[in-house]
Amino acid sequence: MIARKESAWCPGCGNFPIRDVLESVLQELPGPANKVVLTSGIGQAAKMPHYLEVNYFNGLHGRALPLAVGIKLARPDLTVIAYSGDGCNYGEGGNHFIHTIRRRLDITILTSNNQVYGLTKGQSSPTTDRGVKNLLDPQGSENIPLNPVSLAITMGAPFVARGFAGEKDHLKSVIREAILFKGTALVDVLQPCVTFNRINTYGWYRERVYTLDKPAKNRYEALKLADAWDTKIPIGVLFRDDSARSRELKTLFGKSITKEAVEQMVCTKCVMMR
Amino acid sequence: MEFNVLVGGEAGQGMFSVEMELSELLSRLHYHFFATKNYMSRIRGGHNFHMVRIAGDPVHALSGDPWDMIIALDSETEQYHKTDLSVSGVFLSPGQVKEMEQVARERFGGVTATNTMLVGLILAAIGCPQDKFSGIVGISSNPDHLSAGFEFARRWGVAGRYPIAPKAPAHCKFDGNQALALGALLGGCQFMAGYPMTPATSIMHYISTVALNHPVHFEQAEDEISAINMALGASYAGLRSLVATSGGGFALMQEGISLAGMTETPLVVIVAQRPGPATGLPTRTEQGDLNFVLHAGHGEFPRAIYAPGSLHEAMILARKSFHVADGCQTPVFILTDQYLADSVQMMIEEITSEIIRREYGSFDSSYNRYRLTASGLSPLACPGAGDALVRVDSDEHDEEGKITEDLGLRTRMVEKRLKKSDFLKKETVLPTFTGDPGSDVIVINWGSNKLIVEEAVRRIAGGGVRTGALHFSQVYPLTQDMVKPFNLKDKRIISVENNATGQFAGLLKRELGISVDHQILKYNGECFTVKELFQTLKKYLS
Repeated sequence: MIARKESAWCPGCGNFPIRDVLESVLQELPGPANKVVLTSGIGQAAKMPHYLEVNYFNGLHGRALPLAVGIKLARPDLTVIAYSGDGCNYGEGGNHFIHTIRRRLDITILTSNNQVYGLTKGQSSPTTDRGVKNLLDPQGSENIPLNPVSLAITMGAPFVARGFAGEKDHLKSVIREAILFKGTALVDVLQPCVTFNRINTYGWYRERVYTLDKPAKNRYEALKLADAWDTKIPIGVLFRDDSARSRELKTLFGKSITKEAVEQMVCTKCVMMR
Repeated sequence: MEFNVLVGGEAGQGMFSVEMELSELLSRLHYHFFATKNYMSRIRGGHNFHMVRIAGDPVHALSGDPWDMIIALDSETEQYHKTDLSVSGVFLSPGQVKEMEQVARERFGGVTATNTMLVGLILAAIGCPQDKFSGIVGISSNPDHLSAGFEFARRWGVAGRYPIAPKAPAHCKFDGNQALALGALLGGCQFMAGYPMTPATSIMHYISTVALNHPVHFEQAEDEISAINMALGASYAGLRSLVATSGGGFALMQEGISLAGMTETPLVVIVAQRPGPATGLPTRTEQGDLNFVLHAGHGEFPRAIYAPGSLHEAMILARKSFHVADGCQTPVFILTDQYLADSVQMMIEEITSEIIRREYGSFDSSYNRYRLTASGLSPLACPGAGDALVRVDSDEHDEEGKITEDLGLRTRMVEKRLKKSDFLKKETVLPTFTGDPGSDVIVINWGSNKLIVEEAVRRIAGGGVRTGALHFSQVYPLTQDMVKPFNLKDKRIISVENNATGQFAGLLKRELGISVDHQILKYNGECFTVKELFQTLKKYLS
């Protein structure tokens, strides 16, 4: 647990239980703690690494994922976790979200999804439900909300899960499974924002969430689970494909191109295509 | 004695192949040459032309003199270029090329052999003995096709008409992008991420090919924003990293530049300029982005900008950039352009093949990424290599790397970052002077114009007018020490730039208080030729 005053989060924020869960998952991971790197973007959720004892690169809004990709490609020996909010991972970084999944890297993507922009004080996010009124949507959001788990399933992510900040033990097992999974794993964490989201509260979620016993048997079944939202919201691992293979990465760190190799290249032909 | 040839036609008609094969053979046969191209932003059709200058002495620019030979693969070549044919020049009409194609089809089973036949014809024109290339191993040109070209040269009375002696010493042959890529590898670069954009793309092609068999990685990103963030991630994780793009892509990278500045993550950024604004002329040349690169990225942090003027400088500076980026823990820029990127030249200078690498110290758990030091430089560590936790943050941060809003600490962190520019002073690349040191006139230039200006100045000196040229391959920072030996305040200064507003002249004024008396500017998308620069300079000098 961290002291309230050490954190920039509001009292009762859904990020606190997520932090506690992450802390204990990281402590219990096999392998040395210094081999874990968190990347994050900007927003309240993106401050997460500051409240953990871990290597981190807290970058720019929307860019947690390309940072994670660069780190993983450079250092396959590191456990790489990208952590940010829904605005960061699905809005400003939406394009990166799609393409990071395509890259087939062993990266864990965690999103605190509170369906609202917190740090900028209460505007719609990509996951805000239609009709919800916010500061910049006084008439109610007219957009179709982005469904991150169905998007990930459709894009071919081999591990897609949903967690709830109000179910800590369950969330811990899901996040742990995601990190240990050998491949791109998404955990979209339903995170109540106690200040700006008066609809999707702890109570609202508690009435709806139920835990899955096991993942769906295929992508199509998983999409049905991913689509459920109004009255019953499944949490847990929606889809898991253990047959999917991540990209083979070579060791770069500590190695060097040789002098002889460069000397040989000096004699190769020009590449003339621009 | 020299021979200037232009090969023009539609994109896809084979001029690229002609230039590639010809430059390969010229290099192997030890002819001094310079080759560049003017092409449209399309895959097929349009009007493209390739220009090759072959000479008895080193050449590193287009002469601008009338063409000795024009090979017209289409009628537009005739329409646009025939007026520039020298009085005694040879014009090969599309009809004549058709004749060669006919022979190529009959004898070699396809028109593509015409490309090599044209190369043979050009070699015949400069008096290359036909038996000479049979001894060269490993060339891609088919000797029978070359011989067929020689036959045509004899039939049309072109053979031996422009005799050039092959006098080049041992050398390498590159285009500008290849020199930059090799320089980067010599600088220990192991990671590049990029999104294709003319005229930077071939740097990516080169690195991705190298990555197949060496401890180097290239990743094609979904956009330039991602590319620069990937490169920063890789640099943080322990690898020297590179991105390359052109103006429009660089616009997207700007937030990443600022991130590199704030997080003090070393990064090398190649900006291959093309004419803007916006999409501009995608395949042509300009030096219009100096101010852009100079001011790229919000906030204040140190940076260095190099602008190589030759293949040798491209290689040396690309190598050095990685040393400086690491040493100063800041982004370092290489400003090049389509002209340098696309020109094929020979490089006689020796280069070191020693590869410089990033070395890490070992740190314990008391490590602080942003430890305040007298030099402003905090020791660099990477994650997972020891007990140190490496914490970096785009917010203002404390020494540990944790977010802070302590405004006293903010002030110290700003000063820390700016103090690192002392490192850049130690690494200054001095400008190079050629010509008469006693001259009252000095022609200032930067980047890819170097060798064009030098030849124009030599031509002027040949006419008895004292003059000199001063070239800057480090365009930022500029310091008084860099210009002190040249007494610029007492001289008449003419600046030469490939842009419309004289951006470097403005920078000289701002940074060093030096005023330029005349500006020679070109911004139609083409490089200067020696002749046009010589004539314009002469006007100012007479």
